Amino acid sequence: MSVHALPEKEIVAIILYISMFLMILAVVLIIFFYFSRQKIIQKELEKVDLILRYQKEQLHAIIFTQEEERKRIAQDLHDDISSKLNIVSLNSHLLTAPNLTETETAEITENIINLTTKALENSRKIAHNLLPPVFEKFGLSAGIEELCEEFESSKSVKTHYKNEIDFDEKDIDRHLHVFRILQELMSNSIRHGKATEIWISFANINGVNICDYKDNGVGFDSSNAENQKGLGMKNIDSRISFLEGTIEIASEINNGIVVNFTF
Amino acid sequence: MFDVFIYISYFILTIDLILYTYSFFREKKANVFFVCYLAFSFLMQFSMETFYHLRMNNLFLVNIFIIGQMILLGLFYNSIFSLKSQKKFVLISILIALLILAIQFIMDWNQFLRFNLFEITLTSLLVVIFALIHFYNMLTESKEYYFISIAVVFYLLTSTVLFLIGNLTHNLSKEFKFLSWELNSILLIMYYGFILYDWKKNLSRSSAN
Repeated sequence: MSVHALPEKEIVAIILYISMFLMILAVVLIIFFYFSRQKIIQKELEKVDLILRYQKEQLHAIIFTQEEERKRIAQDLHDDISSKLNIVSLNSHLLTAPNLTETETAEITENIINLTTKALENSRKIAHNLLPPVFEKFGLSAGIEELCEEFESSKSVKTHYKNEIDFDEKDIDRHLHVFRILQELMSNSIRHGKATEIWISFANINGVNICDYKDNGVGFDSSNAENQKGLGMKNIDSRISFLEGTIEIASEINNGIVVNFTF
Repeated sequence: MFDVFIYISYFILTIDLILYTYSFFREKKANVFFVCYLAFSFLMQFSMETFYHLRMNNLFLVNIFIIGQMILLGLFYNSIFSLKSQKKFVLISILIALLILAIQFIMDWNQFLRFNLFEITLTSLLVVIFALIHFYNMLTESKEYYFISIAVVFYLLTSTVLFLIGNLTHNLSKEFKFLSWELNSILLIMYYGFILYDWKKNLSRSSAN
């Protein structure tokens, strides 16, 4: 056998070296596994962290908007109703005063009637702002129509509204989100965009409801991420995620804004 | 000197077997195939030892041990894999390996009475591959049978060399004849030690609670 040709010491060295080699190989494999695992787990943790932070931000936005809304309602109630009811109560006290002439009584009662009418009207307006009755009774399309009319009459803006979808009344909870999104977009167009014309259209393409929104305002640089982080935009984002839809916002300075979203 | 290591490894194997059997019957926790593997190893080691003392050729026992080790460890990994494709891979590769070995033994019966190089390489590498698949699964999952798998990869990769050169060592002088087996017994101590450590880490804690 050729084995005899090799010196014994050489064979032993070969044995030792080969076993050494495989031993080190095994250790390297295990160490490689150990560090890969640590790296993967760390990446996973970072991802979870990111999601948590995003959720927290959304929660903050929700709480903040809630507070803003409360403040607004409180202000409306205080300015438009409480103040008027105060005067009504004052006037009623006046009525109980002795020795009033008939003309004075008539004047006071007229005052009271006027003020209560105004207070009533204001309370209706506040309620209407919170949830438009037309939307509740006749659905999204009528609600948007009324919204457009309101904007036209009060804010001197021209609106074009077109609807090709027959909305299902059962989905009214989802439609409220769509309504709020459009409300937010329109008030943004007026407030920040100084728009004079607004286009809104609904269409159903391949079973997906799509809303196109466009205005001719001053627009903004949509490539600048800073412009997409406002509270209003966050609000719209969360509503879109509720609707499990997608949203695309494109805008250029002096070229208005184009928003497409699905729901 | 050489005997001490071997007996230490037998001792640790016995402890392993007792502890795992205890966990299996008392806590219903240990893996049935792994307990079988330990029992099988125990049986094989002692019969090999007896044969050695009776001055009989115990090499056919080595062959049985190597094949049984592949089957039992393969089934063990098969039972802890969760992916269907991995389970299938383990079963099919074991079956193919057994088929090939059966054909080889039918063609040349004498292979059973010496160190069968092909058999050693095939079976050890298959088990190492199973263990590596398990490592891959553990990358994102929790560590299950972590130290057992480390032991399997480490011991099988290294000891394979020692078995492969088994036929060579026959021709060496007395001085070096048992060197590789001394090395093997040290590796065995580490191997059974790791298995013992895995028991302490995973199974003993549950019995304390």
